[in-house]
Amino acid sequence: MDLGAVAELVRLGLSGLVIAVGLLLIAGGALGLLRFPDLYTRLHAANVADVVGSVVVVIGLAIAAPDWSTAARLLLLAGVLIAAGPTLTHLVAQAAHAAGLAPISGQYAAPRPGATRTSSAP
Amino acid sequence: MTALAAAIGAGIALLLCAVRLFAGPTLYDRTLAANGMIIKLAIIIAAAGVMTTRAEYLDAALAFVLACVVVNVAVLKFFRSRTLQAPLARAEDV
Repeated sequence: MDLGAVAELVRLGLSGLVIAVGLLLIAGGALGLLRFPDLYTRLHAANVADVVGSVVVVIGLAIAAPDWSTAARLLLLAGVLIAAGPTLTHLVAQAAHAAGLAPISGQYAAPRPGATRTSSAP
Repeated sequence: MTALAAAIGAGIALLLCAVRLFAGPTLYDRTLAANGMIIKLAIIIAAAGVMTTRAEYLDAALAFVLACVVVNVAVLKFFRSRTLQAPLARAEDV
């Protein structure tokens, strides 16, 4: 067993480990998106766990990539994902808050005209 | 092999997001679920590009994510003002 085969084995094992961690984070985000009671808690689940998980999965794919151009494009995709995810989270939360959608739990409602305590459709 | 595992895991998460897309009570839940579906679809496309060792798939995934940003901005602006071209107001009117 020469050195190249060992390096290949280590590379594939490392990429599998990184992808497994990322898939665990993505599964947590998807379950939170499905099970949490409110839009704002769903935003917290979907865009804290999910953005980090997708970036980690793409970095694991870049470790497993066959050549350098594929790896560079995957790292570029990771950069775009980590820039776009929090921006979209902010957009959704700000639009829902401006439309008067209050959180259903907690002591305080959103300080907006027309805000209701229930999470009904606006 | 690891790319196949990534594609399958992202596909399961995409199905969970599709449940929230059709069951979400508010418009913003549906927007959030559609956003997550597009990002998971980009991951599946990237994994397919690694599996088939073709770099064109990764360009498609990049274009997918960038189009997702633009579409989300447009859709949320439409939800806020209910029109795609909100009327302009003078500064002394408001």
